[in-house]
Amino acid sequence: MIAIAIVFFGALALLFIGLNKEEKSLKLAAASILGLAGISIFAESKGIINVDAFFTWVPAGMITFNPTAQVIAAILTVMAMIIINLMPAVSRKGMDVIALMMFSLCGGLLMIGAQHLVVLFLGIEILSIPLFVLAGSEKDDIYGNEASLKYFLMGAFSTAIFLLGATFLYGGSGTMYYHEILLRLSFAEHFGEFPILMQTGLVLVSVGLLFKVSAVPFHFWSPDVYEGSPNRIAAFMAIIVKIAGFAAFAQLLTAFVPMQTWYSNWMLPISAITVLAGNIMALAQQSYKRMLAYSSISHAGYLLLFLLQPIQENFQVLGVYLLSYGLGTAVLFYLFDKYATSQDKTVGIFTGIAYTNRFDAMALIVATLTVAGIPSTIGFIAKYQLFTAAFPTAMWGVLLALVGSAISISYYFKPFRVLFKTESDVQPSIHFTWKYVCLLGVTLSMVILGLFPVLLNWIF
Amino acid sequence: MLTIFHSLEISHYIYLSTVLFSIGLFGVLFRRNAIILLMCIELMLNAVNLLLAAFTEYMGDVQANGQMFVFFIMVVAAAEAAVGLAIIVMVYRNTRKTDVSFLDQLKD
Repeated sequence: MIAIAIVFFGALALLFIGLNKEEKSLKLAAASILGLAGISIFAESKGIINVDAFFTWVPAGMITFNPTAQVIAAILTVMAMIIINLMPAVSRKGMDVIALMMFSLCGGLLMIGAQHLVVLFLGIEILSIPLFVLAGSEKDDIYGNEASLKYFLMGAFSTAIFLLGATFLYGGSGTMYYHEILLRLSFAEHFGEFPILMQTGLVLVSVGLLFKVSAVPFHFWSPDVYEGSPNRIAAFMAIIVKIAGFAAFAQLLTAFVPMQTWYSNWMLPISAITVLAGNIMALAQQSYKRMLAYSSISHAGYLLLFLLQPIQENFQVLGVYLLSYGLGTAVLFYLFDKYATSQDKTVGIFTGIAYTNRFDAMALIVATLTVAGIPSTIGFIAKYQLFTAAFPTAMWGVLLALVGSAISISYYFKPFRVLFKTESDVQPSIHFTWKYVCLLGVTLSMVILGLFPVLLNWIF
Repeated sequence: MLTIFHSLEISHYIYLSTVLFSIGLFGVLFRRNAIILLMCIELMLNAVNLLLAAFTEYMGDVQANGQMFVFFIMVVAAAEAAVGLAIIVMVYRNTRKTDVSFLDQLKD
């Protein structure tokens, strides 16, 4: 995984080069570093390049990427590139925000590759600590301050719970390697009983991770934090943290396959409540950004349903879903950021953009269809695969999730009511910039991957 | 004195750490001052450290995985405290208090 090194040293270089420069002038450099990292991971997953020789100093087996995890890591990096590219730069000098985002991304990559509890812990912390700072990066904004403090307290609290769980797992099994934990559990399964320390440990570790991915009993911080943070950081949290969190969770649960029937007993209610509560609370929101926050909670519920089944080989289903979620949410956050004003944050901001800016309207429609999971976009393929995979183990959960998706349509489609409403004769104005190329790429990829799902087999 | 330590069993360490952890947990849930919350979180982390060291000793882990983990937790806790105190100072500059009751500005 040379990509972690590329991102880390790239961020360091940008931090020093950009000391006295405008962020705008170096945004493209940051995006190209991330693009390079993404390409390198993708090439590794396809076996085109091999850089294992550089990493002989890493203790064996602590960080291992199987090919699918590598594709998810590539998706994560590309998502960070898209966010940095699409979202507007701040006007003050210095590259600290983008550099911190890239440091945070390093933590996400570590989480995906973690095969050892210490590495998972370090990954979570490297992902979170820059985000605590980033959430409050608008220092004079009182809402930003609140978001930052709240995110910090919740993050540190969930870390402590995660650590207690990791300690219990260590005490119960005597090891921190996932594959050795799996071995001990297989023995325990043979004798018909799991040690109480392992059971408590798994519950506590899951609670720590569920806080991070904002599943329902532990979600209360996320709408406030998303709303208070700057839009770019909110998009970063919604996409990067969720992708890394779920990939890491899925990797962790591969160590607990013998306990699968036990943990799905209590995880099924959590995911069902997450889906329903996320969707129902999203209905009541006035602010579009809060609605996106609740929508990301409901997506966490769908993904948890998938984690209930013994995950060994169909990891790519998770990858496809995370890809579609990331692409759709990135575009929605970009459009929200572009049209929202400090007074108006409701869906009313999109009034008439089908006439003023057809291209943005098209992107909005495609992204909404993707997150809602309507056929002809990648969102449908992702949701279909996810529900089919989860159905055998979590039938009731999947049925509730279908109800939840039906509810979700009514709030996702709210902007469509005002999209074609025109208030005056305004001339369409589109200035083609680099940003539009990026937006066009993202929008087209959602449609093309949805129409030709065969391409997904090539990616994964 | 040493005989007392040898007569302690692993369960004693588990109870002690759980009690310390719970004190921290309830502190986080019920106290209102941000700095005290930070201290409570540190207490939770230190309870975990104690337990990890005890488990390593109990299992006779020659690689001392648990004790290595303790060092990582200490480093991360220091980083977290640095960032946390900076955030509390930033909040204090704007609101002139360190009370978490200010965390209700964001409502729908």
